[in-house]
Amino acid sequence: MVPQNDALAGIAVESDWFSTGVETQTWTPLEAWSNDISIDFAESYTNDRIAFESLKVLPIQLSQTLPRTIGFAFPESPQWTAPEPKVARPAPPQVVHIDKDTNDPEFESDDDSETAKPRKSITRMRPPGDLVRLEDRLYYVLQPPMETIIQSAKLTFPFQPFPYQLEGIAFLFPRDAAILADEMGLGKTMQAITTIRMLLLSGELKNVLLICPKPLVTNWMREFKQWAPEIPLAIIEGDSAKRNWIWTNPQAPVKIANYELMMRDRDVFEANDLHFDLVVLDEAQRIKNRNSTTSEIVRSIPRTRSWALTGTPIENSVEDLVSIFEFLAPGYLRDDMHLKSLGKATRDYILRRTKDKVLTDMPPKLYRPAELELTGEQRASYRSAEEDGIVQLNEMGESVTIHHVFELVLRLKQICNFDPATGASAKLERLEADLEEIAASGQKAIVFSQWVSTLDLLGERLAKYNPLYYHGGVPSNKRDAVIDQFKNDPKNKVILMSYGAGAVGLNLQFCHYVFLFDRWWNPAVEDQAINRAHRLGVKQPVTVTRMMSLETIEERIHDVLEQKRELFNNLFAETGTPQNLGLSQKEIFGLFGLNVPKYQPKVA
Amino acid sequence: MDANKNNKTISLGFVTVRHHPIHGYFGGYLIVNSLARPLEFHCTLPVQPTRAQQILYGSTLAEFVCGEQIARALVTKAKGTPQVLFSDTLAVLTLRHMQSIPMAVIEFPNGESSSLPRPECDRESYHRFKAFGKQFSVLPEFAEDSSEIQGLFDAQKSPLDLLEPFGRIEEALMEAHPATKAA
Repeated sequence: MVPQNDALAGIAVESDWFSTGVETQTWTPLEAWSNDISIDFAESYTNDRIAFESLKVLPIQLSQTLPRTIGFAFPESPQWTAPEPKVARPAPPQVVHIDKDTNDPEFESDDDSETAKPRKSITRMRPPGDLVRLEDRLYYVLQPPMETIIQSAKLTFPFQPFPYQLEGIAFLFPRDAAILADEMGLGKTMQAITTIRMLLLSGELKNVLLICPKPLVTNWMREFKQWAPEIPLAIIEGDSAKRNWIWTNPQAPVKIANYELMMRDRDVFEANDLHFDLVVLDEAQRIKNRNSTTSEIVRSIPRTRSWALTGTPIENSVEDLVSIFEFLAPGYLRDDMHLKSLGKATRDYILRRTKDKVLTDMPPKLYRPAELELTGEQRASYRSAEEDGIVQLNEMGESVTIHHVFELVLRLKQICNFDPATGASAKLERLEADLEEIAASGQKAIVFSQWVSTLDLLGERLAKYNPLYYHGGVPSNKRDAVIDQFKNDPKNKVILMSYGAGAVGLNLQFCHYVFLFDRWWNPAVEDQAINRAHRLGVKQPVTVTRMMSLETIEERIHDVLEQKRELFNNLFAETGTPQNLGLSQKEIFGLFGLNVPKYQPKVA
Repeated sequence: MDANKNNKTISLGFVTVRHHPIHGYFGGYLIVNSLARPLEFHCTLPVQPTRAQQILYGSTLAEFVCGEQIARALVTKAKGTPQVLFSDTLAVLTLRHMQSIPMAVIEFPNGESSSLPRPECDRESYHRFKAFGKQFSVLPEFAEDSSEIQGLFDAQKSPLDLLEPFGRIEEALMEAHPATKAA
């Protein structure tokens, strides 16, 4: 390009002021030309053309150096198109059609109005904070949006992922250490499976180990079949020889094991020199106690990437979260970290969304507290038991332990459910009244209790609703059939579940009524239970009835649970330090106005 | 251009320049394959025009710095040669004089802004055309680029979004030059 300033073009040649025979090369970048000289030229010309005649102007050979660049080449991914599944699918797959506005597929559109239409946001991968090399960071920054990858790779899904699910996939994809802590029912399973699928297709993973609670193995198999039917799975099961063969079989890129089995197969990794590109822990709160054998075993698995899936990264105290991080990034967190520091340190590792934030169209949860007066029989039994119990605890003096207090708590809670002498129950009366209406309207209900004995009693009294049982006493190989029957048989109006067996991994969104017959020790488990029904796909509001006997231990525990809920919210909102970090010994003893004796072991 | 070219061999170049009020001009160049996956990325160090250049190039300074300096440096350094070059910056179009790849600027929809401003350009005469729901501009002396570009994509069924890669480049520039994030 020839400079556009005509006046300066004219004065550039020393021998001839008015010559137009300026050589173009004279006007290449003036890197060596001082600002002072150039300013003098300009000012002189502007102020007085005559002044130029007294100036001596020298031609300057200018450098033609181009700006310095840095560059990176990225290898083309080996494969980004999912092969046809070899197994039959439960439902015909659909190619996901990403919203036109979202993905802006202008190749298929010649609509002039496109130019004026604002483009919707797209979901990008972002490099994790602990990725240091610029080349590595740019690799993720420069990847196309999730919508484009999914569409161009022709990945098929049973239904279109929600935008927040794509964000979850974009979050997991580049991370070596991550916690997906979405509220229950938002599809953590689908997000994990899809990310694994994409990483396998892109060649970034070769072998994956997924560890989940034993009852959820079949659930994961079903979800894999639905969301990634082309991926061969290997389920770790059978006798020792068979398991050993499965562990070492390289044919299946994804292996699914359960926590219980890990105890037995802990030596397999070392003996066979196994290494996994990714280990995923489902219901990762299972390792909240870092001294447990389960936690030690999963931490010892040789691996490159570590992901934890849990809706409740904190069940009782921040130590739960620190323990999960011992699996993800050992030593990264400390128990004594201030809550705000903890929140800041974990921000890049944890993704948590709640239904009220991301599923604004989802029918709500309607909480209906059932605060009930005990029946006369129950009240008499309760008073007697409480008074006797407190007297006994006081008499024990310094020898009283937390277990003695727990025993009394449990005894009183059971009386709140049923009077041991007469079987009277204010809760049951209320439940029967509600169930009658629910059954009459063709609906079904889930009833949770922490005791199998309570569920058995309920089963007898609710016989006309043909209740089904789902608790620890039901063999795991029969549990899927129970769920199927509850879903499909119109005669079975009620399912009676224990928190332990029924709180995780089940999809019961066809059921719109949940009863918490008694309260669990922490609200996270209660939320898990409630979210069996209130999850993706639910068509109606879910009514949750929390039963509580007034002026009893249940009411006092309720207050502690609310404080725990506050702790959880505080950490993730980073809005301040909560007053209480869980059900402390002091609080447990305080339920009965007792002081903590000296030298008590710490209880979470 | 051969419209029947195998999809797998198609690659597209996206080149852009952003201007930072303190650090100067930054350029980025991304080559993607037909699935929009990145193949190459290049960016320049910050370029600050000298006072002399400002005076010499006057109203054409942006075209000189963006097109002849930055974009030229980027395209020269790349190993791959895309079938077409796109930009979102009119000032970059002068690069077309220096290389043989068809080149067009895509207009962003009204109201869509970037974190860092695109350099302004005073030139008024462009050959403009609409295709794929977008408005394109090419230099009048290379008006035939429009038919080449339309011919190329008529043969393509890729779902590629032609505006989206510029967002990637911008984010990559901010990764490479963190100081610009505060702008």
